[in-house]
Amino acid sequence: MLHNSERVEQFTAEIAEMKLPDTATSRDRTLLRVGVVLMVAGVVTTIVAYAISHDTLNPLQQRDAIVIALGGLSMTVVGSALFLRYSIAQFLRFWLARLSWEQQAQTDRVVDAVRGDKVG
Amino acid sequence: MTGASSDGRAAGPDDGLVLDLTASVAPILELHDVRAGYDGIDVLHGVDLVVAPGQVVAILGPNGAGKSTTLKVLAGLHPVSAGDVIVAGRRINGARPDDLARRGLCLIPEGRGIFPNLTVRENLWMMTHRGRRLAEVEERSVTRFAQLGKCMDQTAGTLSGGQQQMLAMARGLATDPALLVLDELSMGLAPIVVDQLYETVGQVAAEGTSILLVEQFARIVMDVAHVAAVMVAGRIVETGRPRDLEASLSQAYLGG
Repeated sequence: MLHNSERVEQFTAEIAEMKLPDTATSRDRTLLRVGVVLMVAGVVTTIVAYAISHDTLNPLQQRDAIVIALGGLSMTVVGSALFLRYSIAQFLRFWLARLSWEQQAQTDRVVDAVRGDKVG
Repeated sequence: MTGASSDGRAAGPDDGLVLDLTASVAPILELHDVRAGYDGIDVLHGVDLVVAPGQVVAILGPNGAGKSTTLKVLAGLHPVSAGDVIVAGRRINGARPDDLARRGLCLIPEGRGIFPNLTVRENLWMMTHRGRRLAEVEERSVTRFAQLGKCMDQTAGTLSGGQQQMLAMARGLATDPALLVLDELSMGLAPIVVDQLYETVGQVAAEGTSILLVEQFARIVMDVAHVAAVMVAGRIVETGRPRDLEASLSQAYLGG
């Protein structure tokens, strides 16, 4: 069996350099969505619990409704935390990239200015 | 082994070809327990396959066995739900098909995948993305498929089925692929045309290109493939030399 060793080596090198989609990004996106869903579901649960409590004079049912409402509030808090964490992560990545680019541009300007002085 | 015996020469370092009798080199393609499906229904139930550099591997099996899905998965056209697709030693699950194609993993799909509204020349022009000039691509294509030289300005959709398949192969080979993946090359073609096309596949293999091909008609590939893998219901059930697998193939096609 023959194989073109040069081509295989080139192929191996090119495949090794190839950029693959970042799985962390898709996980962040999923958790961001989970955060939004939890926030909305928590608020809805709390409102439903209030309605249950409001429609009854039975204190046992009202206590159950309070427990459900607390669960809803917890969901909202956890959802908000997830949303903030992962939306800020996206923003921070963009902000960091922008900061790096601006810093590089500033460095280039300074270097150009210094070289200009030397030439002048 | 067709690749080595057809031209009967042991290649030297000058032409970059290496005679490999031990198959000890790292595989160019590995599939480990690959699972994939459509709309939540699994079609591949753990496919394991290895293609060594310079090897011609044929996946054979009845209609609906998951052969084409396997090719789509390794070319990045269909997502993997579990398992590893390893190309040239790197796990490439989730890689984009255009990234893989640009680097030399060339899939010639079932149905040929040519642009029917463009001329033959324009179709070839599309394959200059690896930096090769159009004139060079045309020359290489005509050298392999002389028939294409006579219809360079003809619209690809008006070519015969055989000519279209030749164009599809010419396009694929113009990119100098490291791994050529062929899906049902014989589909809808006359036996004489199929023989011509497989002769070319044999030549390409003899030049040292790794080839993975899928065929429903097993007998066609018996003389070309070094290794055959029998696929049934989304699994590779047997792998070996094509002639040794005839019994398994009969069972796969006829059931029982």
